[in-house]
Amino acid sequence: MNAILKVNQLTKTYGKKGEKQYQALKGINFELNRGEFVGIMGASGSGKTTLLNILSTLDKPTSGNVVINGKDITTLKKNQMADFRGKEIGFIFQDFNLLDNLTNRENIALPLSLQNVKAREINNQVEAIASRLNITQILDKYPAEVSGGQKQRIASARALVHNPSILFGDEPTGALDSKSATELLNTMDDLNKNDQVSILMVTHDPYSASYAQRILFIKDGKIGKELKKDDKSREEFYQEIIAELGRR
Amino acid sequence: MLWKLSLTGIKSRFKDYLILFSGLTFASAIFYMFMSIATNSTFLKGALVIAFKTTQFVFVFGIALLAIITFVYIVYANSFLLSMRQKDYGMYMMLGARTGKIGTLIFLETLIVGFLATILGVLIGVGLTQVVSQLLINQLGLQIHKFVGFYLPAFIWTIIFFAALFLLAALWNRHKLVKSNVINLLHEDQKPVKLRYNKVWKFIEAILGIGLLGIGYWAMAKYQVLLTNSITIGFFTITIGSYFVFDSLFTTIINILRNNTKFEYKKLHSFTLGQLKFRLTDYTRILSVVSLLFALALGAITVGLNFNNMADQALESSYYDVVLYKKTPQVEHDLKKISVKSTKTFNYKLIEDNKAKNPQTIYVSKDEIAKKNLKYQNFYVNKKGQQAYSTKTINVKELQKGSSARTEMMKYQLTQLTPYPGAGVKIVSQKQYDQLRSENKSVELLMVNNFRQNFANIEKLQKAAVTGSLNDDNPVLNSTKAMNYRFVSSMASGFEFMGFFLGLAFLAMLASTLMFKVLSGANSDKPRYKMLWKIGTRQSLLKASIAKEIGVLFALPAVLGIIDVLFGLQFFKSLLKNPYDKIWIPFTIFLVLYLIYYLITVKLYEGIVLKDNK
Repeated sequence: MNAILKVNQLTKTYGKKGEKQYQALKGINFELNRGEFVGIMGASGSGKTTLLNILSTLDKPTSGNVVINGKDITTLKKNQMADFRGKEIGFIFQDFNLLDNLTNRENIALPLSLQNVKAREINNQVEAIASRLNITQILDKYPAEVSGGQKQRIASARALVHNPSILFGDEPTGALDSKSATELLNTMDDLNKNDQVSILMVTHDPYSASYAQRILFIKDGKIGKELKKDDKSREEFYQEIIAELGRR
Repeated sequence: MLWKLSLTGIKSRFKDYLILFSGLTFASAIFYMFMSIATNSTFLKGALVIAFKTTQFVFVFGIALLAIITFVYIVYANSFLLSMRQKDYGMYMMLGARTGKIGTLIFLETLIVGFLATILGVLIGVGLTQVVSQLLINQLGLQIHKFVGFYLPAFIWTIIFFAALFLLAALWNRHKLVKSNVINLLHEDQKPVKLRYNKVWKFIEAILGIGLLGIGYWAMAKYQVLLTNSITIGFFTITIGSYFVFDSLFTTIINILRNNTKFEYKKLHSFTLGQLKFRLTDYTRILSVVSLLFALALGAITVGLNFNNMADQALESSYYDVVLYKKTPQVEHDLKKISVKSTKTFNYKLIEDNKAKNPQTIYVSKDEIAKKNLKYQNFYVNKKGQQAYSTKTINVKELQKGSSARTEMMKYQLTQLTPYPGAGVKIVSQKQYDQLRSENKSVELLMVNNFRQNFANIEKLQKAAVTGSLNDDNPVLNSTKAMNYRFVSSMASGFEFMGFFLGLAFLAMLASTLMFKVLSGANSDKPRYKMLWKIGTRQSLLKASIAKEIGVLFALPAVLGIIDVLFGLQFFKSLLKNPYDKIWIPFTIFLVLYLIYYLITVKLYEGIVLKDNK
């Protein structure tokens, strides 16, 4: 199995030298294989947002490196970082982050427009991902005109339309009702199993986490326990996660 | 405690406050400067006593317009202040602060910011007035010796005006904060925008808008038929037409562009178009107002500068440049400083008979008229309704015709060359002329080189020529070319000054209004740019999108304003010979200044929305 994401001795310290410093990440190491669905869990302030920001090139680490699809992203310059995000990374956020003044179709097309893909090709790809995620009917509506669950599907379509190497989810079910959340998680599971999409999802919700194949628990800037689903059913895995959370 | 919180709030947004504060300061400085120059009687009297009343009327009109635009400006600056503060205050309320207390806080904050800005603005205004007025006085060659920047009535009026405005603003802010829900305050920027509308109505609106503008422009051009009605018609049709055009036509154009997938799916085009469409619905009113003010400001500068041509027209009103009645030593002395192109001597005799109806009669011989080919400038109104002059020669045939209008005109023109403008004229044969028992008188009629450049010396010579031979207050002086030129050019420079000044003050206000409108939306645009950045948009692309978006918002009212001016100038055709003459000069000055405002707005906007993207 080859790794799509390799994180090596990653640290992040806030505050300048000589001033009061705070170490958010204290040497993180892990790998994510191609086609794997990994969850990262941790309490508030554990460093999971910092980690996700660095992995997605929104922030730079103090030391250590991150390799995504064979490329060390910690050496990239500003514009290269933006281009890298645009090409290699797909993002789903808790609050959708859709542009309310664009139609859903335009929202999904954005990452491709940024890469100068031809209009006809963009249309084809948008249609393809939309039918995959079952949102063809609402493509020409505005985000404000569809439900929260549908919004997150649109956001997922935007995250996947350019075939990124890896999909990052930042509490993607956080703003959804339980039915929509389950639908989204099933979709992610489906994409992972049938389209081999590699997914890294940060969450504090054990139910969401139970959809992953592997869970890394982050605490005080370090990775502690790791849980694997293996052949367990989702319900069994869920119970295991609850038990693990109760232990801390 | 709340005071302390409020102050920390200001401190943390110091840069935004600085923009607001400098904008308000600038507004009051401009207002004071205008008030002081417009109402300062020493200045106006110095400019021209006779045109004082007309000028004052136009100045009052100017102040009224300036007051209106200042009001609009303060409304937008205030909404910028509120947009910065409502989230903070909403949070204090959520934490349990009483609404009454919050109301007092925003009330006082608005008043204090406004008061400090006004005081500082007036102080800057005093300095500005001094500099600007001196500059303009020198530039226009006005005869003013003493002009002090500080003028008490203007000072008081500015303070009263701004105090009233800020009191209103403070009451409004208080009302807005106290009456609205905490939730709305916290999420004001997330309110949904109306995105759908009736396409048929938009289409009708677009046609109506263009039609109304067309009627307005037509009315401006047909002032000869419609007279003052053309102003009324133009005002209403152009105002409503502009509103319709902004409300429909531009959205329609954007929709067409959005439907063109090739254009739409290129870089950030879809985002920029989306932003613009969303903005245009929100900006319809302000863009119409800005386009009208743009037209007024640019029109004022264009017409103002064009008044300079009136002085040129004054040069056409009389044929001979200098008329010398008698060669005194002073005249001889002044004459040396002037480059004379040609000299013609005209002889006549004056007979005075106190019993006759007209006590003075000028006798001229036929031979003299035939030999000298005396010329004069004939005034007429041409087919286009413009005032014009044509050069005519005084001839014996016409003079002897009897009492035709042209005969009377030629006789009148003859007397204008002598120091006896009220005298009668008799044309006699050379023999009869020689027999008249009166001394032969003569005047020298000069044509000179470079009248305008040499004007100071020419005026001096003409004055010497008149005072040397007649009483000081002789009416003759008024009919000489030099005095004509002096009269018209001083009036024209008064208008020029006012137009220029009014135009610049308007420009400053309207551009800052637009700037604040754009900036007050910046805080709610921030998440959009942040999101684009997160999904991998280069910073340079974001900046380009901002430049385009704000560029369109600045360009649309400018384009419409320019079209307004181009048609509106038709209206001045009766007053000015060629209102379109050298039109590129005011247009260039104006557009360069407007461009500077645009660039500042883009920089400030970038500073707000791209701040957090490292």
